[in-house]
Amino acid sequence: METVANGKPTRTKRAYSLERLERRAGLLFALPALVGFLLFVLIPMVCVFLLSLYKVDLMTNTFEFKHFQYYDKMLHDPDFWKSVKNTLLYMVIYVPLTLALGLGMALILNSKMRARGVVRTFFIIPYITTYVATLVVWNVFLHPTEGPVNTLLMSLGVDKPPQYMVDTHWALPMLALIGAWKDVGYHCIMFLAALQGVSKDYYEAAEIDGAGRFQRFKHITFPLISPTSFFLLLITIIGGLQAFYQMALLTKGGPSFSTTTMTYHIYRSAFEFYNFSYASAVGMFLFLITLVLIAANWLGQKKWVFYQ
Amino acid sequence: MPLTTNLRYTVRSVVFLLIGLVFITPLLWMVSTSLKFENQVFERPFVFIHWGSVNWSNYAHILTETDFLTWLWNSVFVVLISVVFRLLLSALGGYAFGFLKFRYSDGIFFFFLVTLFIPYQLTLLPQFISFRFIGLLDTHWALIIPNIVDVLSIFLMRQFFLSFPKELVHAAYMEGSGIFRSFVRVALPLARTPMLTLGLLSFFMIWDQYYQPLIFLHSKEMYTIPMGLQSFQTQFGKQYAMQMALACLAIIPVLGVFLALQKQFIESIVSSGLKG
Repeated sequence: METVANGKPTRTKRAYSLERLERRAGLLFALPALVGFLLFVLIPMVCVFLLSLYKVDLMTNTFEFKHFQYYDKMLHDPDFWKSVKNTLLYMVIYVPLTLALGLGMALILNSKMRARGVVRTFFIIPYITTYVATLVVWNVFLHPTEGPVNTLLMSLGVDKPPQYMVDTHWALPMLALIGAWKDVGYHCIMFLAALQGVSKDYYEAAEIDGAGRFQRFKHITFPLISPTSFFLLLITIIGGLQAFYQMALLTKGGPSFSTTTMTYHIYRSAFEFYNFSYASAVGMFLFLITLVLIAANWLGQKKWVFYQ
Repeated sequence: MPLTTNLRYTVRSVVFLLIGLVFITPLLWMVSTSLKFENQVFERPFVFIHWGSVNWSNYAHILTETDFLTWLWNSVFVVLISVVFRLLLSALGGYAFGFLKFRYSDGIFFFFLVTLFIPYQLTLLPQFISFRFIGLLDTHWALIIPNIVDVLSIFLMRQFFLSFPKELVHAAYMEGSGIFRSFVRVALPLARTPMLTLGLLSFFMIWDQYYQPLIFLHSKEMYTIPMGLQSFQTQFGKQYAMQMALACLAIIPVLGVFLALQKQFIESIVSSGLKG
């Protein structure tokens, strides 16, 4: 009880009330974010689920309950399965390509070289430039008969150069390539940051032990940058699943549905056929695929991600 | 020996520089073509720039005869308002979730993060219906409002404030500042770097947005730059030099901001919590 005289209880009391004040203020500070989140994320999410269960008439603003009919329609729609296949095919090209290119470019920038700043700027430029503007350029650049790429190929003696956006086999891989080209600058900066965080001492020790260049990469660099790689893997998966601009601007989902990914299928269902309920059902499915892929990678990270 | 090392070093640098140039070939071709006449676009042999007779008329035409300046103004308006409000909301939210804390704040925040995986194509559907209902379609507010709340931005500001030194804020309390006052006078000035990065990233991202204007806008005078570009592409399908000049003009504002601030931008990405 004597400790009371030391003023300790008063101090705890003050600290306690300060904490309470901070907590109250915290709620107040978070209020705009909470309200915004509620209005623009949570409520829309609930709405979009309800939307997939109701038939909506936008003219009369009437709703009619349809159970899981739209999901049923979706699962029996060959166009839907085609869009799932196209999305996965896009991912198979886009994800590894973007990660590998990003790492390669970061390794270049991390090596001893002149004019590093200029090369770094070149690598990042597509990432910061306006996507639609670059797509307008790509559209002409890859024009099958008049574009500079095919003009060059033909002058080099290639008889039948690829037709890119109008060829069902070429279109989707080209869109994935353009997507990788656009996004890789971000990966490059992130990998570069991770590489610069690796201490030089490790390499010196490994060199003394006689480890070659590849071994040094495999046993030192790769594990040490793996948290960044994992983060970028997740970002790339999300970005790949949501790719849309190339399809909307270059191919309109064609030729013959070969570039209709799930996002384009959603767009077309909602804003060309005004079937919001069906589009919501497909959107929910896309969300589900995203969660499954993220969860699988989250569980798989134990095998290769190394936290210091 | 030193001479050959030096030579190898130079050769390697030149190779890397060439790789960098190949990487941006489409953009170099864009600049080159924008300064040509239509009949020179596919000329052979290829000339990068006709130094004697550079054609500026594509640019002049776009600036005087098209709606480009309206689109530019619309883009600037939408992007600036969105970024300012997003920064404000993210700084307040980040301070609340990362520093002040409140009951269930960590749990609520985890819930926030899960929603990062929702495809934006999905949330746009009910947004479209509600904006249509309250009459926000074809206004710039339909583009701005959803951009203000960005979970990733709140996350980044929270990361910064998680490790913010308590002593600094408590010293401000001692001097009689209230919680809000110490936030404005102590926390915010020290959060300048992450806020600059966040502001720039948001600027590039919102400037780029095409899906939202595509579904929310229909009058041409409301278009932002990406929509303007797209409508121009459909309208002037065969005027390639003109299209390239417009693409150039669309890129110049972002490129200018990037080149002016790239040192701070890259350094702060490298040093901030943006690494995840």
